[in-house]
Amino acid sequence: MKISTKKMWILGILIVLGLIIYFPGHKFARAHVNYRTGVEDHPLLCLNCHLYMHSESPITKMMNKDYYSPINLAVSKDGSRLYVVAQEGNALITVDADQEKVIGKIDVGELPHSVILSNDGLKAYVSNQWSDNISVIDLGASKVIDTLQTANGPAGLAISADGKMLYAVNTYSSNVSVIDLVSGEEQKRLDVGNNPTGIQLSPENKILFVTSRRANIAPYGDPVKTDMTLINDSSARITGFMTLESAHMAENVAFTPSGDLALVTLMRPKNLVPSIQVERGFMMNHGIGIFEQKENGRIIQLMLDEPNAYYADPFDVIISPDGKKAFVSHAGVDCISVLDMDSIRALINSSTPEMLKTYENNLGVSSRFVVKRIPTGANPKGLALSPDGKKLYVAEQLQDRIAVISTESLEILSTIDLGGPEKITVSRQGRRLFANAGHTFQNQYSCYTCHPDYHEDGLVYNMASKDMGRNLTNTQSLREIGKTAPFKWNGKNQTVFKQDGIRFSTVLTRTEQFSYPDLDAIASFIMTGIQYPPNLQHNPTGELTEAQLRGKEIFERTVDNNGKEIPVENRCITCHPAPYYTNRMLRDVGTLAATDDSIRFDTPHLNNIYASAPYLHDGRAATLEEIWTKYSPYDKHGVANDLSKIELNEMIEYLKTLSSPDYTESLKNVKHSENTSN
Amino acid sequence: MEGMMVFTQVANKIQQQNLWKNNTPARIVAFDPTQPEGRVKVLTEGYYSAHSPEISWDGKSLLFTAKQNQNDAWQIYEMNLSNFKVRKVTSSDENYSNPVHLPSGRFIYGLFPKDSVKIGQPLFTCNPDGSDPKQVTFTPNTNIALTVLADGRVLAFDETSSTDKQQNILMVMRPDGTKAELFYQGPVGSNLISSVSETTTGKVVFVESNSETPNGTNITSISYNRPLHSRENLTSGVKGDFQSVYSMPSGKLLVSYRSSETERYSVYEFDPETKTLGKPVFADAEYNACEVALVHNHEKPKKLPSEVDFGVKSGLLLCQDINFLDPNSIKDSPVLQKAVAIEIMGMDSSMGVVPVENDGSFYIKVIADQPFQLRTLDENGQILNQPCEWMWIRPNERRGCVGCHEDHEQTPENRVPMAVKNLPVNVPVHIEKIIEKKISLE
Repeated sequence: MKISTKKMWILGILIVLGLIIYFPGHKFARAHVNYRTGVEDHPLLCLNCHLYMHSESPITKMMNKDYYSPINLAVSKDGSRLYVVAQEGNALITVDADQEKVIGKIDVGELPHSVILSNDGLKAYVSNQWSDNISVIDLGASKVIDTLQTANGPAGLAISADGKMLYAVNTYSSNVSVIDLVSGEEQKRLDVGNNPTGIQLSPENKILFVTSRRANIAPYGDPVKTDMTLINDSSARITGFMTLESAHMAENVAFTPSGDLALVTLMRPKNLVPSIQVERGFMMNHGIGIFEQKENGRIIQLMLDEPNAYYADPFDVIISPDGKKAFVSHAGVDCISVLDMDSIRALINSSTPEMLKTYENNLGVSSRFVVKRIPTGANPKGLALSPDGKKLYVAEQLQDRIAVISTESLEILSTIDLGGPEKITVSRQGRRLFANAGHTFQNQYSCYTCHPDYHEDGLVYNMASKDMGRNLTNTQSLREIGKTAPFKWNGKNQTVFKQDGIRFSTVLTRTEQFSYPDLDAIASFIMTGIQYPPNLQHNPTGELTEAQLRGKEIFERTVDNNGKEIPVENRCITCHPAPYYTNRMLRDVGTLAATDDSIRFDTPHLNNIYASAPYLHDGRAATLEEIWTKYSPYDKHGVANDLSKIELNEMIEYLKTLSSPDYTESLKNVKHSENTSN
Repeated sequence: MEGMMVFTQVANKIQQQNLWKNNTPARIVAFDPTQPEGRVKVLTEGYYSAHSPEISWDGKSLLFTAKQNQNDAWQIYEMNLSNFKVRKVTSSDENYSNPVHLPSGRFIYGLFPKDSVKIGQPLFTCNPDGSDPKQVTFTPNTNIALTVLADGRVLAFDETSSTDKQQNILMVMRPDGTKAELFYQGPVGSNLISSVSETTTGKVVFVESNSETPNGTNITSISYNRPLHSRENLTSGVKGDFQSVYSMPSGKLLVSYRSSETERYSVYEFDPETKTLGKPVFADAEYNACEVALVHNHEKPKKLPSEVDFGVKSGLLLCQDINFLDPNSIKDSPVLQKAVAIEIMGMDSSMGVVPVENDGSFYIKVIADQPFQLRTLDENGQILNQPCEWMWIRPNERRGCVGCHEDHEQTPENRVPMAVKNLPVNVPVHIEKIIEKKISLE
């Protein structure tokens, strides 16, 4: 068909216009993407940034999926049922263990963590970490029949030997709630180690062990020490603390059936050693702690790693009913380690104290007791055994699935699909990458290793500069950082793409950099997928107490107690304005150490600051208070030296109320809704 | 060419097992194992001798060493396996050996320079067109590039010239020459016969001669996860000699084998699980079949980032405790004296003495790309421990070790080494300041 001249002209003009727009447009896009990513060859895919990096976008919300993310599980006494905690699904999923299919789902509180069955098997208790309570479930009726209040962030659960008390480990408030199961009331609260999670009653029913994840805060250079708290069951009182030296992230504990040993999962960070290489285990090791249950029993640590292969992020440990095998889930490398307990006993019984001390840092010792590594789906977490010990159930958190493993053949028998979305979204893929050590040399650590729960590990590292012993830096939280660029203490990286791109592989992971699709996915997850826990401990309703209000006034003041005007640049509110409490600018607050290069620091955001000890760029301030009482003698970090102790305390109480903007907004909506309904 | 076997044919009796030391005429051929009655295709027609075939992970490129005339130096060539066109990569009067593909696209190879007494036979990398050669090892030893492991590091044979103790030593390092360390140490009297191959089951296999079987050579298997303590002789039950081994995707091994010295090497399958020799895949009455490999597309090793910066003239070395003692190694030994200093020995002279801290740590800044050894001294300056193996450090590299008597499987204790509370000591110690580019804060 002959095209008319007019159409030819129109076509020609359109082509010319297109070329006029395309070339400079393309040039602009290229320059824009180069700036945002720090490289010159990142594909020009607008959606990757402008869709996947904005959690509030309606399209993003439509594209996001609701995954279950199973974390822990329990098995009924007769082995016929599995009860799976769906952490993101806010539910307890019931599974027919024989048919291997889901038969029910019971809604519980927010971000549930653990489940335990009552001694008679008729009830289940589920800890809801973001609701500060425990759902009591009638398993026969499959419904929640009661809610028990706890302290902040309940996780691990245990029931007393007499079945009358429930122990709930409160991770965020670092204590244990002792709850009377008859009255449903909390009877007491026991202060335990830092950021505890796991709890287990010894086989002779006398002592409970409570694990801690974070090490005790100490000046950089002091040994890393993490507590194991012992509670007497009959009196529900703390009987002592034991120390894991040079270790932290003790997630869970298990006793041998005979009670001669307790095993705990742990990590051995090398944060005091300059981060100069990954080879030879110079960054992070992973293993187990062994507590001998006898008088003068030793605490021994053995690595599960091997010289050229590391097994990152050990999470759960469980011991077979015959006491012969222990199983450890490694969330960072998607596998289960099978340990021969008799070999462990033989090893520790035949070794001198000097040899055991050496074994703590020896990568070859695992070959003496690890019998197999069983590959699993993504991010294996909680473990449970069938009553006859023949099957091991594994919660594959980022696979929405339960793996079933034969404890005899040590092979996967089957998997149970929990019915989560089949499609893996970009953000979900990013979360999988975040939790997997495969992008680090020899799988030595994942992002999650130093940012557990996408937060921070409370440690200070020597990794920021080429010169060893200089420029120490405190690990920073990754929660809700999407709007708080630039990143790093020196503000060097404008975007997460730059933060996790080629420089990341050169100085941190020491292996091949993320592919661009993977980089986009992990950036999407970090920018949109990580929420703060609700600040139920310090700001449960949005209404500040009088002390907190006074503290807010101090935080926002423009004149000091002597009537002198505070310079604008030295007012708290100037550098830390709401809603993220950072103006995202660099500042010298008088905290440079002698070992620091002369730089200014990126102003950190203060949301949920109560949970981020220690403080300042090198973690030198163990508490918020020390920021001013010890490390701001000349009022360079805001004017505070004129404050009385009470005034400082009140300002700190206010700081502890600072929360995620979304949480704050949700509280306002609740209040509005209450007012409206009234 | 996918699925084809590539191997070196040698007509004459093989004088030395290691072909890279050999000037015997050889040719590289391809053979289709699915056509057992077929003939070989000679890939290196017209060359006096060619050997050391190495095939890229995508099965598209073949590197080899060859000479066109008997008195030529050995050079590196690359063949496009889709059209068999050959391109000369190097062109000089020095001898090149055993080229290997790197994940970055560059090649790594050995160089036999004219003055090999002083600088040994080091490894170099270059662009695919042979340009931009960069030396990456810096000792007086002989280094032969063998393979690139899945983790992206280069595995190389390391033969020291300074001792009469023969021992098969494999070292591993990043392709830029940083982080070189011992990977495997064979028993005394052992020698590496072939290149190495990494299997799909996490093993590394190679042919080794050793004093256990003085009249034969065997296939040795070590675990990648724990190479220093996992040695296994796979063929102790098989009489005869092996010359090369290659891991196939099926998990079985392609081996070059002969049952006695009077026979020629042929290609067989070997099952590492049952340790049994399978059927012959190829045999030829006139030629030995050596250095066998398979053309197949498989996963490319990781491309490791490089910390080398040529604007920097030095590297940093940290030792946590020179007096570290593995309790297992000193059970029956008397108490050892504590070392208080180290002496850094260069090729020709001492580079100085550096005192160590009370905790045994030292932190030094060493001029890059120079071989050196360390020995420990007591408080009277007497030598406590003789020099360790030759080391080098690359520009801008930072390295750490646990101690002089360390078990190579030992990780550092988590404590701040006292030495890093001060600036590093320059080595050679007479240098007051090393003028170099300043690396900015990360």
